[in-house]
Amino acid sequence: MITLDHITASFGDRRILDDISATIAERRITAVMGPNGCGKTTLLRCIGGLLEPTAGQVLIDGRRVKDYSARALAQKVAFVRQQAQTDFEFSAFETVLMGRNPYQKRLQNESQKDWDIVEQCMRQTGTWHLRLAKPHEMSGGELQRVMIARALAQQTPVLLMDEPVSNLDIAHQLEIMRLLRKADKNVVIVIHDLNLALQFCDDLMLFHDGKLLYQGPVASGLTPENIRTVYGVETHTAEGRIIFDY
Amino acid sequence: MSYKSYKSGKANGWVVLGLAVLLAATMAVCSLFGAVDFAWDEIQDSQIFWQLRLPRVIMGALVGAVLSVCGAAYQSIFRNPLTDPYVLGVSSGASLGAAVAILLGLEAFLWGVGGMALAAALLTVLLIYKIASIGNRMHTTTLLLTGVCLTLLISAVISFLMVLNQEKMDSIIFWTMGSFGSSSWTDVWMLLPVAAVGIGVVLWYSRDLNLLLAGSEAAQSMGCEVEKVKRVLLAATTLMVAFAVSSCGVIGFVGLIVPHAVRLVAGPDNRRVVPYAMLCGAIFVLLCDTLARTVLRPSELPVGSLTSMVGAPLFIYLLYRNKKTY
Repeated sequence: MITLDHITASFGDRRILDDISATIAERRITAVMGPNGCGKTTLLRCIGGLLEPTAGQVLIDGRRVKDYSARALAQKVAFVRQQAQTDFEFSAFETVLMGRNPYQKRLQNESQKDWDIVEQCMRQTGTWHLRLAKPHEMSGGELQRVMIARALAQQTPVLLMDEPVSNLDIAHQLEIMRLLRKADKNVVIVIHDLNLALQFCDDLMLFHDGKLLYQGPVASGLTPENIRTVYGVETHTAEGRIIFDY
Repeated sequence: MSYKSYKSGKANGWVVLGLAVLLAATMAVCSLFGAVDFAWDEIQDSQIFWQLRLPRVIMGALVGAVLSVCGAAYQSIFRNPLTDPYVLGVSSGASLGAAVAILLGLEAFLWGVGGMALAAALLTVLLIYKIASIGNRMHTTTLLLTGVCLTLLISAVISFLMVLNQEKMDSIIFWTMGSFGSSSWTDVWMLLPVAAVGIGVVLWYSRDLNLLLAGSEAAQSMGCEVEKVKRVLLAATTLMVAFAVSSCGVIGFVGLIVPHAVRLVAGPDNRRVVPYAMLCGAIFVLLCDTLARTVLRPSELPVGSLTSMVGAPLFIYLLYRNKKTY
């Protein structure tokens, strides 16, 4: 379980997150939504221990994030970020294998178990056929799925995802969302597609100007009023779908 | 299931053993050639061999190993394929120290030039770290830029010093191009422990180097203590390079190219790159130094110019060969 205890995060004078308190329930998919720049990524970075909040604290399973060692935290929380690339050419297989790092001892080779887990995660994300491909030989969406496979290979109870499906075509979006549903993890996902969130997520955290406007079941959160407040867009609901009025 | 083309994982013991044997053989053979050539049976009671040739050969191997390992580490820490061990200003600091020592006439003292070079190298790097750290975090881009900037500034100062003291220009230039001509057992005993510990540290953290290539946030969330690892690695590598540079001057190209050449053959995994580069770099510098002291006998070429002359075509060949496989 993730507990946010009066989190405030500022860069200089800019207050990105303003006194956020919430608990994020286990084994559910929580959508983090809000317009660009409203602090979604910052929230994920705070939970993942990549950024220390200016005030307040984040607890995972009752323990403060900053009290975890990097290795222990990497066994609890995996992070799929918006893509970064390197000039060095690790194959997709090697990339996913890096996700096993928190379980490996120094100077020790990968075990058969590591290899099996990597294969399983790559098959789940539909990237096994790409295992020998180098980063420059893959499309943006393929690379994104490799990154998701790497996070799955960490076998963590918590999975933080920053717009993991924004680069994917609809078929792969659905495949990844279905995979997350089956994964039985505590998923916190930044997502922009209202209907995708409605269909696949359990809970919603809706941010507006650094404040938490709504937290609760996704269906009762994505109301025309909330959407108008947060995005300034008019919508109505028909047959359980959100339709834009324009 | 087959992982045949999986060029990764820990270093292959047979490759390491093979390279080590090759290194030992190279050392044995190279030690016979120089200003004076030896036959096997003449070695035993030759002062030249034991007091001059042997420490020189050992220094060549050590410096080659240090530069290649540090190059591999820097390229991963800075996620930049163009970095070499001198990028943080170690070499320029050492050169300035050496130039000042030469101008002050300290060459007569044991380790007069080397000591000044070492002190100046460490001072320069400390200055650069000071400028580039924000709080207790090290910003690698700032570190790199500061290093490049200070390097340029210091070479300008050295040029200025040389123009003002034209009569000493030759020995300063010769120093900045690198030479093992004055290597002694003292140099070996100074560098050996630093190199052993330093290379050990880099090997210990070689998987973390792989993670750092994925970016520091990604590395952190995969369980790497990024700030600590960076700090330890930078301290170890800087010390090694400072000791190497201050004993034999600036030997370019090795630290940049040897790790890349190894990557082209063995893949990008640092658990292989670091040990292979260590051995290949040692062999490479040894061969270059042997050429440097034999080609124009009895005079010597600066080994730094030979490493580039021999290394560049070799590397271009490797690049060309690899291009075909795409």
